[in-house]
Amino acid sequence: MTARGEPAVWLMGLALTVSLVAIALLVGLVAYEGARTFWPRPIHLVTLADRATDAPGAAFLGLPMKEEAYDPGDEAAAEIEALRQRGALPEGSLDADGRPLRRQYRVGNRELTGVPFRWVPLYEIASVETPPSAVLLERWAWGVWVGTPRALLLQDEIEVPKDQPIVEEEWIEAAGGRSVRVTRREIEGPAGEGMRRVRERRYLAEATPEDPEGWRRVWDAFLASHGVASARLAQIRSLSRYDMGRVNDRINDATIEILRAKQEALKAADGSRRRAGWGLWSVIAVSAFGAVCGAFALGRKARALEFSRPKFVVWPRAAWCVAALLLLAAWTERPWGESVMTPQRLAEVIGEQESMIAGLQREYAEVESRIRELESQDARERVEFVQADGRFAPVSQSSLDEPMRVSQVVRAVKPNGGSTGEAVGVYLARWGEFLSGDPRDANTEGGVFPVIFGTVMMTMLLSIIVVPFGIVAALYLREYARQGAVTSILRIAINNLAGVPSIVFGMFGLAFFCVTVGKYIDRGPEAPIERGGWWWLAAGAAILVAGALVMAVMARPAPGCSPQRRHAMMGWAVSILWVAAAALAVYLVARTPYFDGFFSAKPGPTFGTRGILWASLTLALLTLPVVIVATEEAVAAVPRSMREGSYGCGASKWQTIRRIVLPGAMPGIMTGMILAMARGAGEVAPLMFVGAMKQAPKLPVSLDWPFLHAERSFMHLGFHIYDLGFQAPDSEAARPLVWTTTLLLLAIVVFLNLSAILIRARLRAKNRGSAV
Amino acid sequence: MITEPKNQGASIKRITMPGSVVGGAPPAYRVIDAIRRNEPSTPEVHDTLDREEAVVEMKNFCLWYGSTQALFEISMKISRGKVTALIGPSGCGKSTLLRSVNRLNDLVDGVRVRGGMLLNSDPIYAPHVDVIDLRKRLGMVFQKPNPFPMSIFENVIYPLRVDGERRRGVLKDAAERCLKSAALWDEVKDRLDESALGLSGGQQQRLCIARAIVAEPEVLLLDEPCSALDPIATLRIEELIHEISERYTVLIVTHNMQQAARVSDFTALMYLGRLVEYGRTADIFQNPRLRETEDYVTGRFG
Ligand SMILES: Nc1ncnc2c1ncn2[C@@H]1O[C@H](COP(=O)(O)OP(=O)(O)O)[C@@H](O)[C@H]1O
Ligand SMILES: [Mg+2]
Repeated sequence: MTARGEPAVWLMGLALTVSLVAIALLVGLVAYEGARTFWPRPIHLVTLADRATDAPGAAFLGLPMKEEAYDPGDEAAAEIEALRQRGALPEGSLDADGRPLRRQYRVGNRELTGVPFRWVPLYEIASVETPPSAVLLERWAWGVWVGTPRALLLQDEIEVPKDQPIVEEEWIEAAGGRSVRVTRREIEGPAGEGMRRVRERRYLAEATPEDPEGWRRVWDAFLASHGVASARLAQIRSLSRYDMGRVNDRINDATIEILRAKQEALKAADGSRRRAGWGLWSVIAVSAFGAVCGAFALGRKARALEFSRPKFVVWPRAAWCVAALLLLAAWTERPWGESVMTPQRLAEVIGEQESMIAGLQREYAEVESRIRELESQDARERVEFVQADGRFAPVSQSSLDEPMRVSQVVRAVKPNGGSTGEAVGVYLARWGEFLSGDPRDANTEGGVFPVIFGTVMMTMLLSIIVVPFGIVAALYLREYARQGAVTSILRIAINNLAGVPSIVFGMFGLAFFCVTVGKYIDRGPEAPIERGGWWWLAAGAAILVAGALVMAVMARPAPGCSPQRRHAMMGWAVSILWVAAAALAVYLVARTPYFDGFFSAKPGPTFGTRGILWASLTLALLTLPVVIVATEEAVAAVPRSMREGSYGCGASKWQTIRRIVLPGAMPGIMTGMILAMARGAGEVAPLMFVGAMKQAPKLPVSLDWPFLHAERSFMHLGFHIYDLGFQAPDSEAARPLVWTTTLLLLAIVVFLNLSAILIRARLRAKNRGSAV
Repeated sequence: MITEPKNQGASIKRITMPGSVVGGAPPAYRVIDAIRRNEPSTPEVHDTLDREEAVVEMKNFCLWYGSTQALFEISMKISRGKVTALIGPSGCGKSTLLRSVNRLNDLVDGVRVRGGMLLNSDPIYAPHVDVIDLRKRLGMVFQKPNPFPMSIFENVIYPLRVDGERRRGVLKDAAERCLKSAALWDEVKDRLDESALGLSGGQQQRLCIARAIVAEPEVLLLDEPCSALDPIATLRIEELIHEISERYTVLIVTHNMQQAARVSDFTALMYLGRLVEYGRTADIFQNPRLRETEDYVTGRFG
């Protein structure tokens, strides 16, 4: 039996089963917990037994969450024992082992009760009812409120002459022949000469103790006014967020424009940054023109002589590149540009911008007054939802005597006695809000749309960055580099990179991308070198590059030759020259006197802080090894016969790679990309350093130029889960949402992977053909 | 279209002779025994070849894979406009010789060569030679059909594409011409944009031949082009070789004696990296000068 290896097979089967079960458990648990969060639960009106008299005592409204057996203290145990002896122990309050049970209720109403959850031992409960009037209010802030509708009212603050008495309560005739109750009370507050400030409440609908069904009228009236109030609130928000925001941004821009002009003026006065003269630039322009013409002539001649074409198409292209670079350099100097910032010009610019700011400020005031108008209407409409002890939901924790505004409610759910259809409706509506809405109430309520958006966008950016780099690196390693000690060491290094803890990448990203590179983009080099010296160094770099090119051509094996024919010493020299040229180029860029940063006039950092670009770059670095290894394997797996066929057709190495090897390796490269995406989407630790925020003020994409704002911070599902689970003001209440968000993260990763897998399958099918 | 095989009759008669010598001492061979003893040997090269114009000429060509020598002092001329077949037992260096002509062996690490190899009297292995250019002047078809994972059209015109040709009309004409030459046009003309991997093995091999002749090569190198195909496909390819041999010089490696007899004008027998006998196919098959050749082509040896 051992010889046949049966036990080994069993063991393997067992191991496979265990892992499958573990995965199924994980997915099942997340799916179950995540899916049920939004299902509406009933609301219990719990009446507690008064321990002394066994008579009904205090009552509260709450949503039952879960039940469990617990260890009562000695005192409670004695009490239970006493109750049992009296025969007054409620049925079902002990479990099968005789241990007492307790139930967790979500009671909400945080501003009054302090704790939104409450454990109640079952033996203490005198009765549980599910009153149809019980309502769960989801609010913009302060969590949920559980209560019954009592009144819908209009609240005004009016001024009454001091000598006129205040009628505290009266019934007045309203439209439709109904009479409504009005109450008035003097309050503190600013009032005119000889006047006093009075708060007047006009009860449009009211439930009274004498009228047990009165709450229905209030509920219907509330629903009607809630729609209007929500729309108004949305309008207020849009005004303050978009209209005001836009005006604000433009004022900021104008201010920055002034600062920039002042900076320029300072520089001009300094005189140390004079431009190179026209003469130099004419020479450069003429030589660029000459390069292009020469290359064209060469190309045409080559064609006329029927040389093989591709070689000679390279020259015009290279000449174009040279010309473009020269033009870029000329543009940075702008010999034709406007004259330097003279004091007159400075004054002009300042005057222009300031008049613009004044206009913008008027616009701002207009929007503001419009908002104030809507606000005052919003403040009038109030609603009273009372908890079991009769206290209503206050407008804020600091003014408990004022009922809340209608618009403070996001959604009101009346679960008791409702049909399944209604429950499904609520469930779907909550999911809809979750997927498309913004988070609110310190992320513990509302939606996660910006979070989904940030996650997906970061993952996309990351794969757009990592795949080309990975492909280039892998191609060089596998196809061009001479296989030997150096490539082995490089491979080992790359594989080790994959094992570096991700937090290390986070630290690196923060230190390098955010602080160093970002600051450079914002402010330019810290200590630029002098212009003359810079050009000398640039010339040196050009010589190094030219030398490296010439030596590379000399060291190059004859095309199609085995790498062994390469001149090894020359190869080393070329490598050293390249490294030196690259180092010099980096130095030149880092200390260039021609760049002052894109945002040097702006007070705060723009790119010099955490942002989605830096996060994507950091994760690209983190996932680079995965892509490189996958690409290398895929490239190595392209059959030899394909390459030989291509070489046999007279293709060069590059053509073979471009047309045969890369397309053939594409499915494998896609596999690498899938792995990179999955890893990137699920990573949290490095993101906390380089860009993920608890709350990002704006999406990284907008309709404003340049549409993609790569410098903005973003929200990420992984970080969001961590934040909900550990940083929320009360994590108990956020727990269900943690599950749902986890489910969502899982779904997004699966979705991204599935789409990549689909693309890969299509590519594979294309490469394989239908039949042979 | 059925074409008359060259050298019909005689060769077949001999090969179908039931003829291994059972028992008795192994016969003594002049050249092969010398090769086996690792002594210098002179191959039998018939003087009929002297009248031919050489397009490829090898002079004492030797090749090493690392430290093992695969070709020893090969000297032979490939006649212009004729079909030359290379035969010999497995591993005797036929493919190596073929791949030396278009320098495909350069892709193997550690290959060294010595001796002369001329194409139209230009040295192939001189340092200044552009190998890419050289390969553009030669077409090659491999043992296993190796169409690229792209459309039939793109496959055929691949050599032109890598040569930088972009004019659509030129490419289309070339594709049609070569597919017609390869007797594939009627089968694929309606699905030029489909993947070439969907073709049958025989069609794939004909596609590879079309690809090899699209750039009007000076020599067409065929390395056992039929060994992976069924008999009917083999027959079609043979007809095809016969047809295109009117316009191109063909150097074909084959395992199959009958095939060599049917398609070639000249035949060279190789053994352990050396040339053994080289002459007109009719002579090699009907009255070879060496006993080993006779035994080899009749299947009594090898
Ligand atoms: N890439 C290679 N590396 C090392 N030895 C090789 C290689 N290709 C062929 N050889 C050797 O060269 C000899 C000739 O091979 P080959 O030309 O393929 O023979 P044939 O095509 O006649 O069957 C064989 O001994 C083979 O082992
Ligand atoms: Mg072979």
